[in-house]
Amino acid sequence: MKLRIAILVASLSLAAGVPLLAHHSFAAEFDASKAIRVTGTLTRVQWTNPHTYFYIDVKDENGNVSKWSCEAGAPGALSRRGFKRGDLKLGDMVVVDGYRAKDGSRLMDARRVTLPDGRIVSGASAGDGGPEATGRNP
Amino acid sequence: MRTNVAAAILAAIAVFSVPVFGQENNPLTAVDVKSAKPKPAPRTADGHPDLSGYWKGTRDTVPVGNMAKDLPGLKLPLTPAGEAALQHNLTATIDPESLCIIGGIPRHNASGLPFEVLQGARKIAFLYWYSYYRLIPIDPKRKHSEDPDPSFFGEELGRWEGDTLVVDSIGFKDEQVWIDENANPHSDALHVVERWTRPDADHIHVETLIEDPKFYTRPFKYSRTWVAGKPEEEIQEYSCSENNVDRDHLGFGPGPIRPDGTRGYLDPAPLPPPIQKK
Repeated sequence: MKLRIAILVASLSLAAGVPLLAHHSFAAEFDASKAIRVTGTLTRVQWTNPHTYFYIDVKDENGNVSKWSCEAGAPGALSRRGFKRGDLKLGDMVVVDGYRAKDGSRLMDARRVTLPDGRIVSGASAGDGGPEATGRNP
Repeated sequence: MRTNVAAAILAAIAVFSVPVFGQENNPLTAVDVKSAKPKPAPRTADGHPDLSGYWKGTRDTVPVGNMAKDLPGLKLPLTPAGEAALQHNLTATIDPESLCIIGGIPRHNASGLPFEVLQGARKIAFLYWYSYYRLIPIDPKRKHSEDPDPSFFGEELGRWEGDTLVVDSIGFKDEQVWIDENANPHSDALHVVERWTRPDADHIHVETLIEDPKFYTRPFKYSRTWVAGKPEEEIQEYSCSENNVDRDHLGFGPGPIRPDGTRGYLDPAPLPPPIQKK
Protein backbone atom coordinates (compact mmCIF):
# COMPACT_ATOMS: atom_id res chain seq x y z
CA MET A 1 0.00 0.00 0.00
CA LYS A 2 2.88 2.31 0.69
CA LEU A 3 3.78 1.96 -2.90
CA ARG A 4 0.43 3.42 -3.81
CA ILE A 5 1.15 6.55 -1.90
CA ALA A 6 4.44 6.64 -3.75
CA ILE A 7 2.52 6.53 -6.98
CA LEU A 8 0.41 9.41 -5.78
CA VAL A 9 3.26 11.64 -4.79
CA ALA A 10 5.45 10.71 -7.72
CA SER A 11 2.49 11.42 -9.93
CA LEU A 12 1.95 14.71 -8.16
CA SER A 13 5.46 15.73 -8.89
CA LEU A 14 5.28 14.68 -12.50
CA ALA A 15 2.06 16.56 -12.82
CA ALA A 16 3.71 19.62 -11.44
CA GLY A 17 5.59 19.85 -14.70
CA VAL A 18 2.44 20.10 -16.77
CA PRO A 19 0.06 22.97 -16.14
CA LEU A 20 0.05 25.33 -14.59
CA LEU A 21 3.10 27.37 -15.07
CA ALA A 22 2.91 30.68 -13.30
CA HIS A 23 -0.72 30.67 -12.34
CA HIS A 24 0.74 32.92 -9.72
CA SER A 25 4.27 33.94 -8.95
CA PHE A 26 5.76 31.93 -6.05
CA ALA A 27 6.84 35.24 -4.55
CA ALA A 28 3.32 36.66 -4.56
CA GLU A 29 2.17 34.07 -2.06
CA PHE A 30 5.11 32.43 -0.29
CA ASP A 31 8.03 33.73 1.74
CA ALA A 32 11.37 32.27 0.66
CA SER A 33 12.91 33.23 4.01
CA LYS A 34 10.49 30.90 5.82
CA ALA A 35 11.70 27.44 4.91
CA ILE A 36 10.03 24.80 7.06
CA ARG A 37 9.66 21.07 7.54
CA VAL A 38 6.26 19.67 8.47
CA THR A 39 5.72 16.02 9.39
CA GLY A 40 2.23 14.61 9.59
CA THR A 41 -0.46 12.22 8.52
CA LEU A 42 -1.95 12.56 5.07
CA THR A 43 -5.66 13.24 5.50
CA ARG A 44 -6.90 14.51 2.15
CA VAL A 45 -5.84 15.09 -1.43
CA GLN A 46 -7.51 17.52 -3.82
CA TRP A 47 -6.75 16.66 -7.38
CA THR A 48 -7.71 20.04 -8.77
CA ASN A 49 -6.76 23.09 -10.82
CA PRO A 50 -5.05 25.45 -10.54
CA HIS A 51 -3.04 23.38 -8.05
CA THR A 52 -3.16 20.03 -6.37
CA TYR A 53 -3.41 20.26 -2.59
CA PHE A 54 -2.74 17.71 0.05
CA TYR A 55 -3.55 18.11 3.69
CA ILE A 56 -1.74 16.72 6.68
CA ASP A 57 -2.44 16.56 10.41
CA VAL A 58 0.59 17.52 12.46
CA LYS A 59 0.79 16.58 16.14
CA ASP A 60 2.86 18.59 18.59
CA GLU A 61 4.54 17.15 21.70
CA ASN A 62 1.34 17.67 23.71
CA GLY A 63 -0.74 15.75 21.20
CA ASN A 64 -2.46 18.83 19.81
CA VAL A 65 -3.22 18.49 16.11
CA SER A 66 -2.84 21.30 13.61
CA LYS A 67 -3.92 21.00 10.02
CA TRP A 68 -1.57 22.04 7.22
CA SER A 69 -2.40 22.67 3.58
CA CYS A 70 0.36 21.87 1.11
CA GLU A 71 0.30 23.28 -2.39
CA ALA A 72 1.78 21.26 -5.25
CA GLY A 73 1.63 21.50 -9.02
CA ALA A 74 -1.49 21.03 -11.12
CA PRO A 75 -2.90 17.62 -11.93
CA GLY A 76 -2.51 17.73 -15.70
CA ALA A 77 -2.32 14.48 -17.58
CA LEU A 78 -2.44 12.05 -14.67
CA SER A 79 -5.61 10.25 -15.60
CA ARG A 80 -4.13 9.45 -18.99
CA ARG A 81 -1.15 7.89 -17.22
CA GLY A 82 -3.44 5.44 -15.48
CA PHE A 83 -3.61 7.14 -12.11
CA LYS A 84 -6.78 6.41 -10.18
CA ARG A 85 -8.05 8.30 -7.19
CA GLY A 86 -8.96 4.95 -5.64
CA ASP A 87 -5.24 4.20 -5.37
CA LEU A 88 -4.91 6.73 -2.57
CA LYS A 89 -3.95 5.42 0.83
CA LEU A 90 -4.54 8.13 3.36
CA GLY A 91 -3.08 7.92 6.84
CA ASP A 92 0.58 7.55 5.94
CA MET A 93 3.18 9.77 7.57
CA VAL A 94 4.88 12.17 5.15
CA VAL A 95 7.54 14.83 5.60
CA VAL A 96 6.99 18.00 3.62
CA ASP A 97 9.72 20.60 3.13
CA GLY A 98 8.81 23.94 1.65
CA TYR A 99 8.01 27.57 2.29
CA ARG A 100 5.27 29.17 4.35
CA ALA A 101 2.66 31.51 2.98
CA LYS A 102 3.45 35.18 3.52
CA ASP A 103 0.18 35.67 5.40
CA GLY A 104 1.31 33.33 8.17
CA SER A 105 -1.49 30.79 7.64
CA ARG A 106 -0.80 27.05 7.82
CA LEU A 107 -0.36 26.90 4.07
CA MET A 108 2.95 25.94 2.50
CA ASP A 109 4.41 25.49 -0.92
CA ALA A 110 5.55 21.85 -0.99
CA ARG A 111 8.89 21.78 -2.75
CA ARG A 112 10.02 18.38 -1.47
CA VAL A 113 8.03 15.45 -0.08
CA THR A 114 9.63 12.52 1.74
CA LEU A 115 7.60 9.34 1.54
CA PRO A 116 7.22 6.72 4.27
CA ASP A 117 9.74 4.50 2.50
CA GLY A 118 12.30 7.30 2.49
CA ARG A 119 12.11 8.25 -1.14
CA ILE A 120 12.06 11.94 -1.92
CA VAL A 121 10.05 13.63 -4.64
CA SER A 122 9.36 17.19 -5.64
CA GLY A 123 5.96 18.78 -5.48
CA ALA A 124 6.89 22.16 -6.84
CA SER A 125 5.01 24.06 -9.50
CA ALA A 126 6.96 24.42 -12.71
CA GLY A 127 8.34 27.81 -13.58
CA ASP A 128 6.79 29.75 -10.73
CA GLY A 129 10.07 31.44 -9.82
CA GLY A 130 10.29 29.49 -6.57
CA PRO A 131 13.65 28.62 -4.99
CA GLU A 132 14.39 25.30 -6.65
CA ALA A 133 13.60 26.69 -10.05
CA THR A 134 16.53 29.06 -9.62
CA GLY A 135 18.94 26.25 -8.81
CA ARG A 136 20.02 28.07 -5.67
CA ASN A 137 18.60 25.51 -3.32
CA PRO A 138 19.79 22.00 -2.54
CA MET B 1 -1.03 -3.73 -9.56
CA ARG B 2 2.05 -4.55 -11.61
CA THR B 3 1.19 -1.67 -13.87
CA ASN B 4 1.00 0.61 -10.85
CA VAL B 5 4.37 -0.55 -9.61
CA ALA B 6 5.88 0.08 -13.00
CA ALA B 7 4.24 3.50 -13.11
CA ALA B 8 5.66 4.38 -9.70
CA ILE B 9 9.16 3.34 -10.68
CA LEU B 10 9.01 5.20 -13.96
CA ALA B 11 7.64 8.27 -12.24
CA ALA B 12 10.36 8.15 -9.61
CA ILE B 13 13.06 7.79 -12.26
CA ALA B 14 11.62 10.73 -14.14
CA VAL B 15 11.67 12.84 -11.00
CA PHE B 16 15.16 11.92 -9.88
CA SER B 17 16.98 11.87 -13.18
CA VAL B 18 16.70 15.55 -14.06
CA PRO B 19 17.29 18.80 -12.20
CA VAL B 20 14.16 19.55 -10.26
CA PHE B 21 11.87 21.52 -12.49
CA GLY B 22 14.54 23.16 -14.49
CA GLN B 23 13.81 23.84 -18.13
CA GLU B 24 14.89 20.29 -18.98
CA ASN B 25 11.94 18.88 -17.10
CA ASN B 26 9.40 21.43 -18.18
CA PRO B 27 7.10 20.19 -20.93
CA LEU B 28 5.72 23.69 -21.32
CA THR B 29 8.84 24.98 -23.02
CA ALA B 30 10.98 23.57 -25.81
CA VAL B 31 14.56 23.84 -26.97
CA ASP B 32 14.87 25.76 -30.23
CA VAL B 33 16.83 23.37 -32.41
CA LYS B 34 17.69 25.52 -35.38
CA SER B 35 17.80 23.35 -38.46
CA ALA B 36 20.22 24.16 -41.29
CA LYS B 37 17.53 23.18 -43.76
CA PRO B 38 14.23 24.24 -42.22
CA LYS B 39 11.03 22.95 -43.75
CA PRO B 40 8.93 25.69 -45.33
CA ALA B 41 5.80 26.82 -43.54
CA PRO B 42 2.69 24.98 -44.67
CA ARG B 43 0.08 26.97 -46.56
CA THR B 44 -3.68 26.89 -46.59
CA ALA B 45 -5.78 26.31 -49.71
CA ASP B 46 -6.03 30.08 -50.23
CA GLY B 47 -2.25 30.41 -50.31
CA HIS B 48 -1.62 32.07 -46.95
CA PRO B 49 0.89 30.66 -44.48
CA ASP B 50 -0.92 28.35 -42.05
CA LEU B 51 -0.21 29.51 -38.51
CA SER B 52 -2.08 26.53 -37.03
CA GLY B 53 -0.17 24.51 -34.47
CA TYR B 54 0.72 24.05 -30.81
CA TRP B 55 3.39 26.61 -29.98
CA LYS B 56 5.84 26.50 -27.07
CA GLY B 57 8.13 29.17 -25.70
CA THR B 58 11.89 28.67 -25.57
CA ARG B 59 14.60 29.48 -23.07
CA ASP B 60 15.78 32.19 -25.47
CA THR B 61 12.87 34.35 -24.31
CA VAL B 62 14.30 36.12 -21.27
CA PRO B 63 12.99 37.49 -19.09
CA VAL B 64 9.71 35.71 -19.70
CA GLY B 65 6.57 37.50 -18.57
CA ASN B 66 8.17 40.93 -18.84
CA MET B 67 6.87 43.36 -21.49
CA ALA B 68 10.13 45.35 -21.28
CA LYS B 69 12.10 42.34 -22.53
CA ASP B 70 13.38 44.11 -25.66
CA LEU B 71 14.02 47.53 -24.10
CA PRO B 72 17.41 48.81 -22.86
CA GLY B 73 17.76 48.23 -19.13
CA LEU B 74 14.34 46.53 -19.13
CA LYS B 75 12.86 50.02 -18.69
CA LEU B 76 9.36 50.71 -19.94
CA PRO B 77 8.77 54.35 -20.99
CA LEU B 78 6.18 55.10 -18.33
CA THR B 79 4.43 58.46 -18.11
CA PRO B 80 3.85 59.88 -14.61
CA ALA B 81 0.32 58.43 -14.78
CA GLY B 82 1.79 55.09 -15.87
CA GLU B 83 4.26 55.15 -12.97
CA ALA B 84 1.39 55.81 -10.56
CA ALA B 85 -0.59 52.95 -12.12
CA LEU B 86 2.40 50.63 -11.72
CA GLN B 87 2.75 51.56 -8.06
CA HIS B 88 -0.97 50.92 -7.60
CA ASN B 89 -0.66 47.50 -9.25
CA LEU B 90 2.34 46.60 -7.09
CA THR B 91 0.88 47.71 -3.79
CA ALA B 92 -2.90 47.38 -4.09
CA THR B 93 -3.80 44.73 -6.68
CA ILE B 94 -3.61 40.95 -6.77
CA ASP B 95 -2.46 39.45 -10.06
CA PRO B 96 -5.73 39.26 -12.03
CA GLU B 97 -4.64 36.06 -13.76
CA SER B 98 -4.20 34.33 -10.40
CA LEU B 99 -7.80 35.30 -9.63
CA CYS B 100 -8.84 33.53 -12.84
CA ILE B 101 -9.39 36.75 -14.79
CA ILE B 102 -8.34 36.69 -18.47
CA GLY B 103 -4.81 37.98 -18.93
CA GLY B 104 -5.60 39.52 -22.32
CA ILE B 105 -3.31 40.94 -24.96
CA PRO B 106 -0.42 41.61 -24.99
CA ARG B 107 0.07 39.68 -21.71
CA HIS B 108 -0.66 36.26 -23.23
CA ASN B 109 2.13 36.85 -25.78
CA ALA B 110 4.63 37.21 -22.92
CA SER B 111 3.40 34.17 -21.01
CA GLY B 112 5.47 31.10 -20.30
CA LEU B 113 2.56 28.90 -21.35
CA PRO B 114 2.14 27.34 -24.78
CA PHE B 115 -0.84 28.22 -26.96
CA GLU B 116 -2.59 26.70 -29.92
CA VAL B 117 -3.67 28.31 -33.18
CA LEU B 118 -6.46 27.08 -35.44
CA GLN B 119 -6.62 29.05 -38.69
CA GLY B 120 -9.58 29.35 -41.00
CA ALA B 121 -10.03 31.49 -44.09
CA ARG B 122 -12.10 34.16 -42.34
CA LYS B 123 -11.27 33.64 -38.70
CA ILE B 124 -8.29 32.59 -36.65
CA ALA B 125 -8.55 31.17 -33.13
CA PHE B 126 -5.88 31.44 -30.44
CA LEU B 127 -6.46 28.90 -27.68
CA TYR B 128 -4.73 29.29 -24.32
CA TRP B 129 -4.10 27.25 -21.21
CA TYR B 130 -6.72 28.44 -18.69
CA SER B 131 -9.32 27.43 -21.32
CA TYR B 132 -9.36 30.97 -22.68
CA TYR B 133 -9.53 31.77 -26.37
CA ARG B 134 -9.70 34.66 -28.74
CA LEU B 135 -11.37 34.62 -32.13
CA ILE B 136 -10.06 37.11 -34.64
CA PRO B 137 -11.92 37.91 -37.85
CA ILE B 138 -9.73 38.09 -40.93
CA ASP B 139 -11.32 40.77 -43.09
CA PRO B 140 -9.41 43.72 -44.58
CA LYS B 141 -12.63 45.68 -45.05
CA ARG B 142 -13.66 45.61 -41.42
CA LYS B 143 -13.04 48.78 -39.39
CA HIS B 144 -12.88 49.32 -35.65
CA SER B 145 -16.12 50.28 -33.94
CA GLU B 146 -16.51 53.86 -32.81
CA ASP B 147 -16.90 52.87 -29.18
CA PRO B 148 -16.09 49.18 -28.67
CA ASP B 149 -17.14 47.50 -25.45
CA PRO B 150 -13.99 47.20 -23.33
CA SER B 151 -12.62 43.67 -23.11
CA PHE B 152 -9.45 41.90 -22.04
CA PHE B 153 -8.43 40.89 -25.55
CA GLY B 154 -9.80 44.09 -27.07
CA GLU B 155 -11.61 44.48 -30.38
CA GLU B 156 -9.33 42.55 -32.71
CA LEU B 157 -9.23 42.90 -36.48
CA GLY B 158 -7.12 40.61 -38.65
CA ARG B 159 -5.84 41.12 -42.18
CA TRP B 160 -3.09 39.65 -44.34
CA GLU B 161 -0.19 41.81 -45.51
CA GLY B 162 1.68 39.39 -47.78
CA ASP B 163 2.68 36.47 -45.58
CA THR B 164 2.10 38.43 -42.37
CA LEU B 165 -1.12 38.27 -40.39
CA VAL B 166 -1.70 41.68 -38.84
CA VAL B 167 -3.97 41.85 -35.79
CA ASP B 168 -4.96 45.37 -34.77
CA SER B 169 -6.66 45.73 -31.40
CA ILE B 170 -8.28 48.55 -29.41
CA GLY B 171 -11.07 48.71 -26.83
CA PHE B 172 -9.32 47.31 -23.77
CA LYS B 173 -10.37 47.28 -20.15
CA ASP B 174 -8.46 49.46 -17.70
CA GLU B 175 -9.22 47.67 -14.44
CA GLN B 176 -8.02 44.28 -13.22
CA VAL B 177 -5.44 44.22 -15.97
CA TRP B 178 -1.70 43.81 -15.79
CA ILE B 179 0.15 44.12 -19.09
CA ASP B 180 2.57 41.37 -17.98
CA GLU B 181 3.45 39.11 -15.04
CA ASN B 182 5.47 41.93 -13.43
CA ALA B 183 2.36 44.05 -12.77
CA ASN B 184 3.17 46.67 -15.40
CA PRO B 185 0.07 48.65 -16.31
CA HIS B 186 -1.97 49.50 -19.35
CA SER B 187 -4.90 51.87 -19.74
CA ASP B 188 -8.04 51.84 -21.87
CA ALA B 189 -6.08 53.83 -24.48
CA LEU B 190 -4.04 50.73 -25.30
CA HIS B 191 -3.57 49.98 -29.00
CA VAL B 192 -1.79 46.77 -29.94
CA VAL B 193 -0.64 45.76 -33.40
CA GLU B 194 0.60 42.19 -33.67
CA ARG B 195 2.39 41.04 -36.81
CA TRP B 196 2.40 37.23 -36.94
CA THR B 197 4.58 35.22 -39.31
CA ARG B 198 5.59 31.59 -39.67
CA PRO B 199 9.16 31.82 -40.97
CA ASP B 200 9.36 28.03 -41.36
CA ALA B 201 7.40 24.95 -40.36
CA ASP B 202 8.84 24.84 -36.84
CA HIS B 203 8.57 28.50 -35.80
CA ILE B 204 5.96 31.17 -35.27
CA HIS B 205 6.98 34.76 -34.61
CA VAL B 206 5.26 37.92 -33.48
CA GLU B 207 6.34 41.52 -33.55
CA THR B 208 4.10 43.56 -31.32
CA LEU B 209 3.74 47.32 -31.32
CA ILE B 210 2.31 48.59 -28.04
CA GLU B 211 0.91 52.08 -27.88
CA ASP B 212 -0.72 53.59 -24.82
CA PRO B 213 -0.36 57.39 -24.66
CA LYS B 214 -1.90 57.59 -21.19
CA PHE B 215 0.69 55.32 -19.55
CA TYR B 216 3.65 55.24 -21.97
CA THR B 217 5.53 58.18 -23.45
CA ARG B 218 6.10 56.43 -26.78
CA PRO B 219 5.14 53.23 -28.59
CA PHE B 220 7.45 50.27 -27.93
CA LYS B 221 7.95 46.80 -29.33
CA TYR B 222 7.84 43.26 -28.01
CA SER B 223 9.02 40.43 -30.26
CA ARG B 224 9.08 36.73 -29.66
CA THR B 225 9.50 33.36 -31.39
CA TRP B 226 7.88 30.06 -30.34
CA VAL B 227 8.65 26.56 -31.62
CA ALA B 228 6.24 23.87 -32.75
CA GLY B 229 5.22 21.32 -30.13
CA LYS B 230 5.11 17.60 -30.77
CA PRO B 231 2.26 16.39 -32.98
CA GLU B 232 0.45 14.79 -30.05
CA GLU B 233 0.64 17.89 -27.85
CA GLU B 234 -2.39 20.12 -27.48
CA ILE B 235 -4.12 22.42 -25.02
CA GLN B 236 -5.81 20.60 -22.15
CA GLU B 237 -8.78 21.56 -20.02
CA TYR B 238 -7.87 23.83 -17.15
CA SER B 239 -10.60 25.09 -14.88
CA CYS B 240 -8.90 27.96 -13.12
CA SER B 241 -11.50 28.61 -10.43
CA GLU B 242 -12.15 24.96 -9.58
CA ASN B 243 -10.21 25.12 -6.32
CA ASN B 244 -8.43 28.44 -6.15
CA VAL B 245 -7.13 28.15 -2.59
CA ASP B 246 -4.53 30.78 -3.47
CA ARG B 247 -7.17 33.47 -3.79
CA ASP B 248 -7.23 34.12 -0.05
CA HIS B 249 -3.47 34.00 0.45
CA LEU B 250 -2.00 36.04 -2.39
CA GLY B 251 -0.29 39.31 -1.61
CA PHE B 252 -0.42 42.46 -3.71
CA GLY B 253 1.83 42.63 -6.73
CA PRO B 254 4.05 39.84 -8.04
CA GLY B 255 6.44 39.84 -5.06
CA PRO B 256 10.10 40.78 -5.45
CA ILE B 257 11.47 41.26 -8.97
CA ARG B 258 15.10 40.29 -9.53
CA PRO B 259 17.57 42.52 -11.39
CA ASP B 260 17.25 40.21 -14.40
CA GLY B 261 13.58 41.16 -14.70
CA THR B 262 12.16 37.85 -13.43
CA ARG B 263 9.99 37.33 -10.36
CA GLY B 264 11.30 35.69 -7.22
CA TYR B 265 13.71 35.92 -4.31
CA LEU B 266 17.43 36.38 -4.78
CA ASP B 267 18.52 34.48 -1.70
CA PRO B 268 15.93 31.99 -0.52
CA ALA B 269 16.52 30.22 2.78
CA PRO B 270 17.65 26.65 2.15
CA LEU B 271 15.17 23.87 2.75
CA PRO B 272 15.92 21.57 5.69
CA PRO B 273 18.45 18.94 4.60
CA PRO B 274 16.95 15.89 2.92
CA ILE B 275 16.24 12.96 5.24
CA GLN B 276 18.77 10.21 4.63
CA LYS B 277 17.21 6.94 3.61
CA LYS B 278 17.75 4.28 6.30
